[in-house]
Amino acid sequence: MGSEESGDRVFEQRGDSSILNYPFYGCNWDPIVFNEFGNQTVESSSHLLHFPSDMVPKISNFGSGSFSEMVTSFGHISETACHSNIAQNSEDGTLGPSPYGKRKRKLSPNNAEEEQHKDPSGDTSDFPNKDDDEKQKFEQNIGTNSRSKQAVKQAKDNLTGDEISKENYIHVRAKRGQATNSHSLAERVRRERISERMRLLQELVPGCNKITGKAMMLDEIINYVQSLQQQVEFLSMKLATVNPELNVDIDRILFFTCASNPAALGIASGLNSSHPFPGYPQGTFNGAPGSTPPFNPLPQHIWSNELQGLLQMGFDHDPSASSLGRTVRGKGNHPYLGQFQHCGEDYGRH
Amino acid sequence: MKTEKNLPRNPSSIKTRFAVKFLQAMNKMNKRKNPSTSMAVKYKRYQFIRAAATSSMASAVGPRRAWSRAVLRKMRNHTAIHRFPMNNKTRTTRRFPITRRKRSSILRGNPRQEDDLGFGQEDDLRGLVPGGQGMDFCRLLSETAHYIKCLKTQVQVMTNVLHHYST
Repeated sequence: MGSEESGDRVFEQRGDSSILNYPFYGCNWDPIVFNEFGNQTVESSSHLLHFPSDMVPKISNFGSGSFSEMVTSFGHISETACHSNIAQNSEDGTLGPSPYGKRKRKLSPNNAEEEQHKDPSGDTSDFPNKDDDEKQKFEQNIGTNSRSKQAVKQAKDNLTGDEISKENYIHVRAKRGQATNSHSLAERVRRERISERMRLLQELVPGCNKITGKAMMLDEIINYVQSLQQQVEFLSMKLATVNPELNVDIDRILFFTCASNPAALGIASGLNSSHPFPGYPQGTFNGAPGSTPPFNPLPQHIWSNELQGLLQMGFDHDPSASSLGRTVRGKGNHPYLGQFQHCGEDYGRH
Repeated sequence: MKTEKNLPRNPSSIKTRFAVKFLQAMNKMNKRKNPSTSMAVKYKRYQFIRAAATSSMASAVGPRRAWSRAVLRKMRNHTAIHRFPMNNKTRTTRRFPITRRKRSSILRGNPRQEDDLGFGQEDDLRGLVPGGQGMDFCRLLSETAHYIKCLKTQVQVMTNVLHHYST
């Protein structure tokens, strides 16, 4: 399971690592229980079948017991489970709510990039069967069991007998005072993921640091995307009007692109068919080192001035644009509209 | 001002890839013909440049992102339809597929669109980001983040090209 968590360091999957404050990773509760459950006979395991029976409606009745006593009772159960038959009600009872704690989350195939979940198909089907037996066992433990839920997964693996796929599940722990319904847990996971993405978007969109709340944040994002798209349109309009001159520069730039960057060679070589090297084959890098040496002293200087200027001048251009927008319109202090106004102004002059 | 360097910082970044492709397209367009710059020609050029910007950005990003895939698919459908405007069989666009959440809400009967907040913002965002119809909200947000980043670089490069042209 540790490997499962280390694999989740990617951004999309990171959302759950904050939830995974599962304290039992250090101890060997899981393997012991799992092994023991696997080794036991059918009838003793049938007692375990009762465990996750209908904890769903009961868990909401849990009192506010401490987590530590849950842990200790849990640890106690691990030993007893190892050695005894677990035919006693008390142990069944105490073990009852605890395995239920860990919920398996299943997401749709759309979220393949995120955690891999598999909904336990036996989840809902198991519940109606063992309703009656667990009620009396359950009442004892409502006081002790408070907020945590333990590995129902182990019991479930024992139930179905074939689900060894621990690594496909994300263990979610319900915090203190929160609803422990399966749906609400799924909702909480989803909400945390969404809030994490919103935080990232907040960093991307300028001027959103003070905005709190999802609705206003979404408004800002939508406005920003719209303004960026409009900027692209304005720029393409301007380029259409300004265009016809200066063809040769582009050729030279692209040629010198492939002089210093063989990776762009395949892209640019197709363009330079009318270039002084007509026999230059497309997409082959082999001819490049042989053909470029005579030009080497020249392009370095021009490269640094032209293509670099094309790529990196934007950082200098933007502040000047926004300042110009400010002087022209007087309200260019908007984080990203100032630049936009500048483009609009220039276009009007054409 | 910028320091004097011989090479751009990252020769295979999205910015350089987009710049190269965009300049390629521009060059190709300039080489075609140079009639009088009437309004119609200008408008055509504008449309071409806009399409070139979008498609070169999408191809620079690659098929890794859902929005770039959607853009490339749209371009392919567009050229296919315009070249072979024969029958309806070529329409392969998928419109408004029912996402998992919509399906669950339909089945259960209760609206589960909590993030909508009743203002239709989620739908607006889906309309803005290409390919935003077929994904759930969480994925939509990450696609939006990447799309914003790419739009920013696009604006930067095009501004520089324009500045380079006008000086």
